[in-house]
Amino acid sequence: MAREQRTERSSFRRYFPPKRKVCRFCQRNVRDIDYKNVDILKRYILERGKISPRRVSGTCSYHQRRLSTAIKRARILALLPFLED
Amino acid sequence: MTQYETAFLISPNLEEEAIEKVISQMAEVVKKKGKLINEDRWGKKKLAYPIQKFEEAFYVFFLYEADPAVPFELERQFKQTEAILRYLTIKKETKEKEVPEEEKSLPASEEKPTEGEDVGGDIEEEAVEKKKKDEEADEKEEAVEKEEKVDEEVSLPEEKEKEED
Repeated sequence: MAREQRTERSSFRRYFPPKRKVCRFCQRNVRDIDYKNVDILKRYILERGKISPRRVSGTCSYHQRRLSTAIKRARILALLPFLED
Repeated sequence: MTQYETAFLISPNLEEEAIEKVISQMAEVVKKKGKLINEDRWGKKKLAYPIQKFEEAFYVFFLYEADPAVPFELERQFKQTEAILRYLTIKKETKEKEVPEEEKSLPASEEKPTEGEDVGGDIEEEAVEKKKKDEEADEKEEAVEKEEKVDEEVSLPEEKEKEED
């Protein structure tokens, strides 16, 4: 049974493959992410105020590191929330 | 000489003159031993969370070039001044100067809102849709299996009967 289900799943993935995510900062050739640019940073926090994980946003590791420090700096200056409810 | 950027928040209950005074006082500290490159004021802005029970604050940014002693002195001054709610000093990367990409990045970042709105949102929605699809597929599978089973059950007795005949 379990094996049958798995093959069904994989065929589903064959017809609807997951959309490949690309790092949006790499696309635009952005080198540094500024903590003052709240409009951009806001797009990378979830509704609870958490930093969106790489598997969700598709950011590359280099820019994810930059992004997380930028968000943390913005939080200190109360530009972004530490938590939101 | 290193480039630093210092941001600080001034409490909103001060009068404009008092705010001016605080800013000029801090600017002088920088100018004494360093070079003030840019002074940026955002004015009164709503805070993402209350600081010392204030919902708003004055945002001021200093970009300057100086020896490391200057940001220390600045922060000492900030601690002494009660009107300063929060401050943050950052060492700017020197690579920025060599690579003129910073100029490119700014207009690109301004374009972003029109093109890539709700980056996180879109992706989340997609994920939800996929989940739904998965669930639907599962349900269909189960339904098909059930039907097959029913068919078998129905067909088996008939065959037995035939055999008996």
